[in-house]
Amino acid sequence: MHSSSMIFSYITFVYFGAFVFYLFMMVMGRSGPGRVATFILWMGFVAHTFAILLRWFESYQMGIGHAPLSDLYESLVFFSWAIVLLYVLVEWRTKNRSFGTFVTPLAFLAMAYASFSPGIESQIRPLLPALKSNWLISHVVTCFFGYAAFGIAFGVSLMYLIKRLDKGGRERSLLTLIPATGILDDLNHQMMVIGFIMLTLGIITGSVWAQSAWGRYWGWDPKETASLITWLVYASALHSRLIVGWRGKKTAILCIIGFFCVLMTYFGVNFLTGLHSYAK
Amino acid sequence: MAQSNRKSNILWHFFKSVKLTIVLLIILAVLSILGTIIPQKGQGAHEFARTLTPELFHLFKSLNLFDMYHSLWFRLIIGCLALNLIICSLDRLPGTLKLIRTPSRPDRNRPFEDLPEEQLLVVQENRKEAPDRVAGLLRKRYRAVQEKQAGENHFFYVTKGGYSRFGFYFVHLSILIILAGALVGSFSGFEAYMEIVEGEKRDTAVLRDGMGSIKLGFDVQLDKFSLDVYDNGMPREYRSDLTFIIDGRFVKKQSVIVNDPAVFMGISFYQSSYGSVPSKDVRIRIRRPDSPQGFITREVARGGVYPMADDDGEFQVLDIRTDLMRMGPAVLIAVRKNEKEIMRFWVFQNWEVAKERLPGPMAQSLMFNPSAFKPYTFILDKLETRKYTVLQVNRDPGVPIVWIGCFLMVAGFFVTFFMFHRRIWIRVTLKERATEIAVAGTSNKNQVALQNELKHLTQELKNLMATMERRHA
Repeated sequence: MHSSSMIFSYITFVYFGAFVFYLFMMVMGRSGPGRVATFILWMGFVAHTFAILLRWFESYQMGIGHAPLSDLYESLVFFSWAIVLLYVLVEWRTKNRSFGTFVTPLAFLAMAYASFSPGIESQIRPLLPALKSNWLISHVVTCFFGYAAFGIAFGVSLMYLIKRLDKGGRERSLLTLIPATGILDDLNHQMMVIGFIMLTLGIITGSVWAQSAWGRYWGWDPKETASLITWLVYASALHSRLIVGWRGKKTAILCIIGFFCVLMTYFGVNFLTGLHSYAK
Repeated sequence: MAQSNRKSNILWHFFKSVKLTIVLLIILAVLSILGTIIPQKGQGAHEFARTLTPELFHLFKSLNLFDMYHSLWFRLIIGCLALNLIICSLDRLPGTLKLIRTPSRPDRNRPFEDLPEEQLLVVQENRKEAPDRVAGLLRKRYRAVQEKQAGENHFFYVTKGGYSRFGFYFVHLSILIILAGALVGSFSGFEAYMEIVEGEKRDTAVLRDGMGSIKLGFDVQLDKFSLDVYDNGMPREYRSDLTFIIDGRFVKKQSVIVNDPAVFMGISFYQSSYGSVPSKDVRIRIRRPDSPQGFITREVARGGVYPMADDDGEFQVLDIRTDLMRMGPAVLIAVRKNEKEIMRFWVFQNWEVAKERLPGPMAQSLMFNPSAFKPYTFILDKLETRKYTVLQVNRDPGVPIVWIGCFLMVAGFFVTFFMFHRRIWIRVTLKERATEIAVAGTSNKNQVALQNELKHLTQELKNLMATMERRHA
């Protein structure tokens, strides 16, 4: 087992720890555990970044050097990393830690799936000829930052729907720490915009790559089609907001549907045949 | 007149609606899901079709569901979306132009209603030069400053980022450009493939849609195909070394690997697949223990019939494989055993290895036993293979158009989402014993950034008034 894989499996527990403290913060309605959670998350993130670089280095030591973005294991690790990075930025910008309770589980689950699922190979393997391209890094990075932004939008949408239950009056410490619905709605929109632009860039870089590898920029392969479906769903969500004026609950629901499409694009399609068989 | 005619047109109304856009986007999404579930073309589609009842199959077939992305109705829906984009954009364009071109009257008081205190500053003195100084400051920060005086009030109006309202037109235009590029590709391009055996050349490619083949106008020769593997057996690189030949003259040599195609006379060649075929000379030995020479040798070809030794009948070579069940080269031999019975059996080149790897019952079976026809033992003595490459051969003049569309789309997103049109009004009121400056603004989005800008501007005006004060003192 590579030492990077060891570190990744430990990070799973670190992120779980951060999640537990975020949850404590919500349940107790006090900021103390939240600060601990942020500290733990930061530690995990630094180790995570280090381990990704280490894995990159390890692959060169094995003589098959390539960016650690080449299979399902590495993509899950990067997905989790992107979520934590975006989340840390959101926490810093909004000065609110309650998002952590809803976002860290995604980072934790992705790491747990990568590290502990028996079907996922954590070995560093050489690149297949089809993946040997300068487009690998830009395609994977843009796609997964898009997925991560949609993941955060999903968490924020859940918070929005939960916050609506808070009709005031009763003492609900679990909900009081969640920011006002207006702020959630704004953040949701921002994350959707970032995700949408990143997904667009991901699809475009994928098309350019497909053109240079197979001679067609679009071939209706299941992964391409699924990403187009995701793109269409978020395009509808943005239009319904910017032109028709849908806000709040409707946007949140569209966002949750959109994230379901993201998961289908990422995982579901692997059960069908197609050219993205890297994820086997 | 023409205007009102157009506006009352039902079709125009139908196609300008954003709700139609959303409905079309969702229909396309649902259809794409359908297209992923129903296998499109190829092997999967054939297997899926077999599971359907004949009626259902005919329904699917007539609706083109096995190739729906190329069906007329799917293209019609895309056409509707394009029309929707065009009409929706045209419908909104005059309004946007008006918003940007026609200046707002600077002397409006409504923006100043309910002004927060921090956007208001008052100096307890009449400063006659204040309007000029404010105008100077604004001219430094904004391109066009409009002024108007009304009694004791001096109004200024500035605007920035008006072009950002065009962002979504660019995005819509980019989608149309991409669709146009796809259309150009489907009308004036082709997708084909060609198989070339090492050392041979070809001048035609087979079209992917099964509509025959296409003459390239030059020859493509495969000098060498090489497959490189990693230590663990995974493929590292597939490479075809090609030579392009026009009228028998060697014009260009180029290697094609995956992700790095060759382009010759506007036609692109991509490494797609590879394989091997038996070369012409295949040699079989037949051993007979009691024969004086020990064995006889026959050069054979597929389908050929050859005599066994000493008028002892004949054998036929039914098939020649370069790699049977991943156990290397093998030939299928048929021998007439007696009047009624014909024996058939495979002869592997490397029988020892094959015997090890075949599952027990198969290794015992006569089907794979080279000594099945007693007393002879067949030996595949020589079978040379020649590699061939499969190249994807494309011409698609629409590709650059698609890339232009993609670039425009990303640029359009940045303008639409990250830039905004703000309009700012400043009112300088010269009272008898005081000067009052009010700053107000509106923005089509990103209110936070607008508030920051107003705060900044107010601060600068404050500094300006302070310097004037010092000079006065």
